Amino acid sequence: MKVEELTRIPKVLGAGIATEDGFIIDSQFTVGYDAEKSAAMAARVVSRIKKSLKVDRASTILYTQKNVFFIKEREDAIFFVICQKDANIGLVKIRIDRLT
Amino acid sequence: MPDELTVDSGALIFATLADVYLSSGMVDEAISILKDGLSRNPSYTLAKIILGRAYYMKGDYDEALKILNQTYQDAPESENLNLYLGHCYKKAGKQDEAVKFYKATLKINPQNKEAKQEMEQLDVKAVPEEPVEPEVPAVDETVVQIVEEARAIGEREEPTIVPHVADLEEVRKPEPTVEKPPQPPGPEPVKEEFPVKAPEPIVAAPVAAEPPKKTEPEVIAPVQPAVPHAEEPVPVAPEPTTAGSIPLASLDEPMHRLLKNKTVRGALVCSKDGLPIQSYGEKRTDLDEMSAVIGAIYNEAQDSFTFLKEGDLEKFIIEKGDETLCVITAGDNLLVVITQPETKPGLVFVYARKIIDEIRELLG
Repeated sequence: MKVEELTRIPKVLGAGIATEDGFIIDSQFTVGYDAEKSAAMAARVVSRIKKSLKVDRASTILYTQKNVFFIKEREDAIFFVICQKDANIGLVKIRIDRLT
Repeated sequence: MPDELTVDSGALIFATLADVYLSSGMVDEAISILKDGLSRNPSYTLAKIILGRAYYMKGDYDEALKILNQTYQDAPESENLNLYLGHCYKKAGKQDEAVKFYKATLKINPQNKEAKQEMEQLDVKAVPEEPVEPEVPAVDETVVQIVEEARAIGEREEPTIVPHVADLEEVRKPEPTVEKPPQPPGPEPVKEEFPVKAPEPIVAAPVAAEPPKKTEPEVIAPVQPAVPHAEEPVPVAPEPTTAGSIPLASLDEPMHRLLKNKTVRGALVCSKDGLPIQSYGEKRTDLDEMSAVIGAIYNEAQDSFTFLKEGDLEKFIIEKGDETLCVITAGDNLLVVITQPETKPGLVFVYARKIIDEIRELLG
């Protein structure tokens, strides 16, 4: 349910929830995006941030040349959202914060 | 950047970060990073030695011995490898073996204080029979290479993580070192044979008063007597962050504007390898560590995005409880803006744009 709410935002390419070790719990992605790979990437980045910065919960936004990745960790689950660069990043962030 | 250099810097970063962790007493974190890095780069001998050292510091001497012994055949001439093998054997109660490795350490570097002390404690004649040149600490190729790498980024200040080179020793495969052509004997006095202040780390030209028959230059002149050995007090001398530092003075004005923002606590420029370059704003003692950590996160995320074919990572924001880190790539460097959690990242990025342009122009 949460995932669907996020993917309704314009220019959001997909969203998912994964376990700490990168296994998909739920996801909804447009064609061409590999949810499993994205979940694994999200878990890897979260793990690195937690280890390096010694934080309990990792939250990050990563801008690549193609897209923007939101990764937010909550209670043994990792939310991740991928959207286009011209999406309303602020709106996506607010929605994620609200849902998590 | 050539592929091999990319690989090398990626390899270096986890060892560097692990070394920072070890220096901070975070042994478990160091072991975790080293294991992770070695799983991707299993032939990285230096990392194996640091891992052995980490297990030694943890008190797991069996594991340390196992790793160091496995690594020994790859780097039998490594000073630190021999030293820690000596330490481990000593802890294991095998004094004869310990002495053997302490002797090997002193053979490689007759000035190694730790090995000397251990030999004295073990009541063994420590000094090797060879003539020893006084006041000449050994500097390894790797030390030189690391300083060179840092310089190559833009001929700016030397990296402030110099203590890492205590471990980043002779292990990397010998690569051709840039050598000055031998200079003909000149009339200069010989007194300046070992210039203590001179930061030239690479090659000493033959001493002026030496007989002319010696035409080959001495590889690696001892230059910085402060190269620390393991477990010695680390003489970290952070580069001053004063506004007039060369060649980053032109960053001062845009940085000042950025720092005027009340929610911005400070900023730092570091290389993607995690080496600090310059810092601004509030004085912090953890800037070296922060640079290494940001470099590690950047490299890890970049690896993931390369795997996902998402292109290069351009910038990222990390929300971290008491502060938010905005990291923006600028050529081969990273600008890290440390802000309060309630900051407006959009505003930070607007201010950062000018700084990024300057960094790109200055440092590439």
